[in-house]
Amino acid sequence: MRIGVFLAMKRVLLLAGLVLGLLCLPSCGPDGPEDDVEYSDLFENVADNMIVPRYAQFQSDLSALEAGLNTFDASDVESLISLQDQFKATYLSWQSVSVFEFGPAAEYSALLRVNCNSFPANVSKIEENIEAGAYHLDFPSNYQAKGLPAFDYILFHADQNELLNELSSASRIAYMQDCLADMQGRVDEVVNAWDTYRNTFVGSEGNDQNSSLSLLFNQYLYDYEKLKRDKFSLPAGFATQYGIPLDADTSLVEGHFSKMSFQLIDANLAALENIYLGVGEGGTDGVGIFEKLKEYNAQSTVVDGDLAVAIQEHFAVCREVVDQYTNDLPFEIANNISQVQETSNAFQKMVPMIKNDMRSYLSVTVTLTDADGD
Amino acid sequence: MVTKVKSYRAQFSQWLHAKTGIAPLVVFRIIFGLMMFAGTVRFWAKGWIDALFIQPDNFFHYYGFEWVKPMGEFGMYTIFVLLLISSLFIALGLFYRWASVIYFILFTYIELIDIANYLNHYYFISLVALLMCFLPANRSFSVDVWRRPNIAVQKVSNWTVAALKFQLGLVYFFAGVAKLNQDWLFDAMPMSIWLQAKTHWPIVGHLFAEKWVAYSFSWMGCIFDLTVVFFLLSKRSRPFAYLALVVFHVITGIMFPIGMFPWIMILATLIFFSTDFHEKIIIFIRSKLNVKVQSSIGDNSLFLHGFKKKFLTGFLLTYVFFQMLFPFRYLLYPGDLFWTEQGYRFSWRVMLMEKAGTAFFYVTDPKTGKRGEVNNCQFLTPTQEKMMATQPDLILQYAHMIKQEVESRGLKDPIINAEVYVTLNGSRSKLFIDPKVNLAALEDDLKHKDWILDF
Repeated sequence: MRIGVFLAMKRVLLLAGLVLGLLCLPSCGPDGPEDDVEYSDLFENVADNMIVPRYAQFQSDLSALEAGLNTFDASDVESLISLQDQFKATYLSWQSVSVFEFGPAAEYSALLRVNCNSFPANVSKIEENIEAGAYHLDFPSNYQAKGLPAFDYILFHADQNELLNELSSASRIAYMQDCLADMQGRVDEVVNAWDTYRNTFVGSEGNDQNSSLSLLFNQYLYDYEKLKRDKFSLPAGFATQYGIPLDADTSLVEGHFSKMSFQLIDANLAALENIYLGVGEGGTDGVGIFEKLKEYNAQSTVVDGDLAVAIQEHFAVCREVVDQYTNDLPFEIANNISQVQETSNAFQKMVPMIKNDMRSYLSVTVTLTDADGD
Repeated sequence: MVTKVKSYRAQFSQWLHAKTGIAPLVVFRIIFGLMMFAGTVRFWAKGWIDALFIQPDNFFHYYGFEWVKPMGEFGMYTIFVLLLISSLFIALGLFYRWASVIYFILFTYIELIDIANYLNHYYFISLVALLMCFLPANRSFSVDVWRRPNIAVQKVSNWTVAALKFQLGLVYFFAGVAKLNQDWLFDAMPMSIWLQAKTHWPIVGHLFAEKWVAYSFSWMGCIFDLTVVFFLLSKRSRPFAYLALVVFHVITGIMFPIGMFPWIMILATLIFFSTDFHEKIIIFIRSKLNVKVQSSIGDNSLFLHGFKKKFLTGFLLTYVFFQMLFPFRYLLYPGDLFWTEQGYRFSWRVMLMEKAGTAFFYVTDPKTGKRGEVNNCQFLTPTQEKMMATQPDLILQYAHMIKQEVESRGLKDPIINAEVYVTLNGSRSKLFIDPKVNLAALEDDLKHKDWILDF
């Protein structure tokens, strides 16, 4: 009898092993060709039709800015205007790549977000650096003294005559050239790295912390929350710092001197919307997050019905409320705070749609650790 | 009547203290020690010591354990080294009593640091570690016996093995009881949501989109949890029950991010098998390790007498009653359990609901009326934020963290409100708590939190 039990056990264990093996087949079996990676179509579209061409665009905008600087003529107001216009185009172009802060852009030597766009500009530090003529732009203490915000300050902080007067000084031009070279070096590195990283990105499987899915989603959410808080709530006085409610401070807006705040916010929103819809550079509509949510028949928990449509519609709402403004954000904060508050509410409503609903359907985990609760 | 009760008690006591072979305890000790060792290595390797105990600026406390604090980088790594050593010592049966007590205390300490890390699995480990402190699991086939042959025994009291079986069975049974609810059984929720996310799996993926598959998974899971322990207890059905158990845990292990738990359960439930079975395992290990069998020392057995025996029976009874009643404390609270989570933890409610929330906190300066939204990532890690957003007691604790920070920066008596939207099992997001209530003015207690809005 006892031997019988033992034999039975043996059989059970054997069977268990067999079942284990069978169950393993779908997940640990060798990968078939192509279509195995669930998000490869999304990743391909994002990489080939957004990331790569948009970085290239930003890179060429920086080059154009460089050319403008090199040929700048401080006696010619047209020269200044053309430099300013090229800067504006570059700043708008940045908005479409800021969200891609993973892989190459997140490398320590690149870190595009802090190096290219730490706003608001630290005006006194910029002047100090120009005066001194020697500075280490790599140092974190100079994050707010370089990049696009430095251009925003140097090229727009005064009227044309005064600017032309200032810019006749070679050290001012040289400082901008150094700031530009700092950005270019980093962007070139990122662009080159994407040549090889592209396949890593597209072929990534699963949803762990370092999967393309997690990286893309988390940066997407981060970029949106940064837009909502740093570009909007903070200057409008709706935010806190370590819990302390802050007063409105219009000098905190992005593009403060060039008065581009709303244009930049809109460009940022447009970039996020394009990733969502899968619209590539050049306007071709490919696979975006929208298509994935449709595929899963995702339902919104924030509004009634289809999640894919709900987010699409809310992007449209957000862009519409931003487009309604005729002046820049500092003016509206000072004169029209109730409308600014409404815009803030519109931005807020998107948060759970991305943070909860979209995350849940894309199966991106927040927790690093094991789960058992929900 | 009275005599009848007395005779039941006598019978129960007699059964508790009847003799049984020590082998199941020994095998369990080895399995437990090794699994805990592996679990600690895994925890370390994944960088969780840093992520969970060193990186966060704030920690969520268990009610009554506010005094438990992390020890800083050096301290925390030291504790994990001690966990590694003590778990290995448990497996070896070396300084077993000390090792098991140290393991229990340190493991429980780690779990008490931050309630945002709460897992039923960890609670289970804590309880088993506590039981292990009382079990003579080192009295055979251990380094302790090799050092001091006179402590060796071949028989132990029934209660020792029964306590572990009880603990294991309880987890399954209560996990099954928790599934007896409308959503789980009649809406296949949240199983449908979970399976929906796996429809891209090769071969079987398309099945996960089918409603009937979600229902089958829900019902089978529930029936399995409710009944498996009884089938494991019966000798005839045991092999089949164990097979079902292995299949169940392997499937859940593949489908859900539940770490080592399935493998721990698969090995731990071996304790339901007979003494013979465990003796064969020991013989097998002996032959592999080439360890000689100690010369037999007659009918050496370990039994308690007098006060110790009475104390132990009392302790066990209290433990059993507590374990059986505690999961039902939620009945003392009004409202929907899954929504309010009052009395939710420590009740084996494992993989039961899909809940997510978004929490916006606002601080108002009472003097100026100036109000601003809190940037949650200045206080919490993403994991902590996620956990906080669906659990009222953590929402309240978070408000107090903000209050403390704000007051330390000179703003006295801040008004703190929270606008929290929660979705449960795919429902529409709803306001979770009263957004007008000043959380800073409330103290946490075990009473019903009447500022939680209805589901």
